[in-house]
Amino acid sequence: MTLTLRYAAWAAAIFLVATTALADDAIIGYVKTAQGDARVVASGVSTQAEPGTPVKTSHILRTGPQGSMGITLTDSTLLSIGPDTELVIDDYLFKPAQDDLKIGASLTKGSLNYVSGVIAKLKPTAVTVRTPTGNIGVRGTHFVAKVVPE
Amino acid sequence: MSKPSFQALSTLCLRRLVPALLLAVTGCAKNYVVLLPDDDGTLGRVVVTTPSDTIELSQKSQGAFIGGTRRDTFTLTDDELQKDFGAALAASPQKPSGYLLYFDAGQASLTEASLAEIPKIKADLAQRPGADISVIGHSDTLGEPQANYQLGLTRATQVADLIGSVERLSLASHGEKNLLVQTPDNVDEPRNRRVEVIVR
Repeated sequence: MTLTLRYAAWAAAIFLVATTALADDAIIGYVKTAQGDARVVASGVSTQAEPGTPVKTSHILRTGPQGSMGITLTDSTLLSIGPDTELVIDDYLFKPAQDDLKIGASLTKGSLNYVSGVIAKLKPTAVTVRTPTGNIGVRGTHFVAKVVPE
Repeated sequence: MSKPSFQALSTLCLRRLVPALLLAVTGCAKNYVVLLPDDDGTLGRVVVTTPSDTIELSQKSQGAFIGGTRRDTFTLTDDELQKDFGAALAASPQKPSGYLLYFDAGQASLTEASLAEIPKIKADLAQRPGADISVIGHSDTLGEPQANYQLGLTRATQVADLIGSVERLSLASHGEKNLLVQTPDNVDEPRNRRVEVIVR
């Protein structure tokens, strides 16, 4: 009995780990535009962004002094960044049937243009963009944000 | 009462508080956010939250500094918008487009009108660099949910085959769980027998 329970707990733990790993590996969007020095950094490995480059959570989207980049997420959110910018999408959930909806992004420096997609439409409180000095809560449509590094 | 300009607020801040090292201490924030109208003119809302404040933006081109001590909002001019965001705005991807294709009852065969949409979808795909596409099948409530899930998948596969080879394709079925027109169970409803195609 105890053994079975313990086994079940382990199985559940392994399942959890497995599904979490799977979720982190999911493609959440694609690069659609890239100009100049525009890179996607995945686990320390930096690749030049081009239309069609996949984007996952925790990838760093980074541009140089002449760079810019635009991505479209799978919920049709549009994000584009100007030069000298660093943006990471930390959290992304798009499962309308389960009401699992969330976008959490961090703009550490540079300029961001945001146009909301389905997630903001279905759950207006689900989208947050963090900056070093405060958070931007998005209640729909379109905004721009600028972060000047210290 | 008109709002102060972004220019006025940011230079005021700098003039008063030189040397620049003091900026952080005295709370002159340089980070800011501005609400813009959508393509169709609709305006959303943005809420800025810092450890000490909450500021809401609800007007066209209305901006607020993020952090710092300035709580008043400002209006960003088009010139200022272009200066700070011209590159980011120019890099914005094309808006995705959606298509709805309809089917004969209980079948995976497209109606004639929907079949005529396929070339449009292909042309749309071809003009988008790095395009990706979602194809989602749906059914009406006639029959069993499990069979309808399968039917949705068959319909989606059928549409994907007609569109042809696409590198970035996601295929799904919502069966009878995501009705376009709400009906009771076991109702024949042509508008629910559909495949949704989103081209990004």
